Amino acid sequence: MAGMTVIVRTISRLLFPFIFLFGVYVVFHGHLTPGGGFPGGVIIAASVVTLILAYGIERAQERVSFLSSEVLDVIGSAAIAIIGLLGILLGTFFLQNVFPLGGLGQLFSGGNFLPLYLGVGVKVAGGILLIFYAMLFALWSEKE
Amino acid sequence: MIPHAPILAIVLPLFAAFLMPLVGLLSKRYNAAKACDWFAIAAMIGTILLVADMAPTVWGGHILTYKLGGWSPPWGINLAIDGLSIQMALMIAGLGTLVIIYSAGYMQRDTRKDLFYALTLLAITGMMGIVLTGDIFNFYVFLEIMSVSSYALIAFRRDSNAIEAGIKYLFIGSLGTSLILMSVAMLYSFVGSLNIADLGAKLATYREGAQPVPAILIASLALFVTGVMIKVAMVPFHAWLADAFTAAPTTISALLAGPGAVVGIYWVARLPYLPFGLPVGIILISLGLLSMVVGVLMALTQHDFKRMLAYHVISQKGYMVLGIGLGTLGSVLGAQGGLFHLLNHSTYKCMLFMCAGAVLFRTGSQKFDELGGLGKNMPVTALTFLIGALAISGIPPLNGFVSKYIIYLGGVEAGLPIVTAIAVLVSALTFASFFKAFSSVFLGQRSERLRETQEAPKLMLFPMLMMAVICVAIGLLPALGFNIVGPAQSAAENSARYISQVIGGI
Amino acid sequence: MNFNYTIAMLLIALGFYCLLVKRNLIKLIIGLSVMTDGIHLFLISMGYRTGGIAPIVTSELSSNLSNFASRAVDPLPQALVLTSIVINICILALALSLSIYAYRHYGTLDPYKLRRLRE
Repeated sequence: MAGMTVIVRTISRLLFPFIFLFGVYVVFHGHLTPGGGFPGGVIIAASVVTLILAYGIERAQERVSFLSSEVLDVIGSAAIAIIGLLGILLGTFFLQNVFPLGGLGQLFSGGNFLPLYLGVGVKVAGGILLIFYAMLFALWSEKE
Repeated sequence: MIPHAPILAIVLPLFAAFLMPLVGLLSKRYNAAKACDWFAIAAMIGTILLVADMAPTVWGGHILTYKLGGWSPPWGINLAIDGLSIQMALMIAGLGTLVIIYSAGYMQRDTRKDLFYALTLLAITGMMGIVLTGDIFNFYVFLEIMSVSSYALIAFRRDSNAIEAGIKYLFIGSLGTSLILMSVAMLYSFVGSLNIADLGAKLATYREGAQPVPAILIASLALFVTGVMIKVAMVPFHAWLADAFTAAPTTISALLAGPGAVVGIYWVARLPYLPFGLPVGIILISLGLLSMVVGVLMALTQHDFKRMLAYHVISQKGYMVLGIGLGTLGSVLGAQGGLFHLLNHSTYKCMLFMCAGAVLFRTGSQKFDELGGLGKNMPVTALTFLIGALAISGIPPLNGFVSKYIIYLGGVEAGLPIVTAIAVLVSALTFASFFKAFSSVFLGQRSERLRETQEAPKLMLFPMLMMAVICVAIGLLPALGFNIVGPAQSAAENSARYISQVIGGI
Repeated sequence: MNFNYTIAMLLIALGFYCLLVKRNLIKLIIGLSVMTDGIHLFLISMGYRTGGIAPIVTSELSSNLSNFASRAVDPLPQALVLTSIVINICILALALSLSIYAYRHYGTLDPYKLRRLRE
């Protein structure tokens, strides 16, 4: 799949860090403001997809390949399961709060909300990238 | 009892499904071909050990509850396991293990086996979650996990038949679960709680008929029953089942016909008592009768092996729904018969699909016109198919006879002998259909093309023989089945004890 | 308040009509998506409280929590809808992938032409 014109490539290269940062902000502040893992992960994936569409799939494969998005996916889901099991290992129930509860409105507060949302954000970003690559490969191999 | 056993029975297959792509990558790098199969089998054996560990406590009359995250109901989600749930969990874990052992043999020639096992383990997680949970929105989430995994599994081989079946199942199944979501929304707006025991307690006044039932409760019940009937594939919502089971890889047909039927019938068994408690017996009896008759009539005219078995699934599920419906009219034998039939049907239907899969694996065709005379080449497959065919027709001394006889007695006990007559007629038609199937596949003339077919590989024969042994054992000693089904039926009926032990005891 | 429920029911009816009548797989998927959006709107409107505020505890509201609890809208349906939206993304992705393969095998996106299993 070929890329797009010079204007699109330049603008998307300039915009990519801001969209990525916004997505990371939404994931990290999930316990304070609306948002959280799911919308933040989708925004992160959308920023990477913008780059893939602008530069074409061959060049994108060198940076963010199919394999690395699979690995991101597995890391995210394993993180969620391990945080759940931490509750069991430390003697209380599954998914029980074992992290410190900070003060009102601080970043590192809310117990195990923040680690869970990080895991969800990574998994959703990896998952949406994986869906995008799978659909592209289905169409790509048809043209050959 | 292993502590945290209820939640570990759900988390173990889930964790194994999450790690499966990693195992696939490592097996390709280190050239260990069978790593995925052994990993999946180990996860399932762990699950069945956990469920068997919970069983004696529950059969002693004590309902196991588990608070997720330490939050007590009705503010938090809890798992609640009574006699009915433990029967379903035993069946899902046991038959799921045998199906995964069978897939290790059946999917030998396929690539991307790690994705197949990940999806299958996710489907089994969804099923375990549905029967073990005590919260109605949690049930919806696990139902969607199971449904989406099965949509993907049916279209796994991506040939034209599988894609068509997958699309049809996807649209009809999504419609069904949307109706269930709408019903949960209306129920939440009326009652204000999502916990099943809490809903039962708050709706108890309507159950005794003390106050007139408001319209929103009737609308919610109607949408819920319709959604569950779409998932159980009762007539007239049965259109997806025949295509889906024909085009799927045979292990997925076995998985959906065996353990997959369990979750639908679990909710049908809970419907008359919790959380609504309103009379739905007439709906269950009429839909059950209709499905029995339509299923077997359509099965008689099929030329395709798996399509015929799929229509028989519809017919036998009609028996179970009929039995549970008779239970609401005051016939204890009817409800026990329905649940016992679920136990038997899952076993022999899984076995029958596995025989069809063995024939398909070795000969490459599943149509009656192209097969014939395979009894000499595949003796073990023929023997297990014979046992399955006799069991499904209700011939003594196999297990099908026990459960069907109890349903016949239940029909008479509930005061509807016409139901017994129709059920006996459907059994006779089932026997005729399977006689035709057995003679056209395993007896008769063998064509030149099939002269060199061998017996199925040992990994596929082992689960089939285990299920045949279970069929014969339950047929000769029905007490084995009654130890499981008796507590299940009394637990389903005794909703007051469920409510008091889940909310009061925490 | 009835405005929300009317629009929700209208969306569900439109989505259902789309599922019944249209003859293109992509339009069927759009119809399914519109129908589930109607159900989500219905669910969120269920939790609304007249003259309510958002259920987020900030530092100036944390002093008088009982007043906050009586004025805030119900956050539970919002969590349910968030979960349901994510599930529907997965179903949408799966349906679109299956449509890509259906177009490759059959050459058409007409659901009435996918009939090879019946013959």
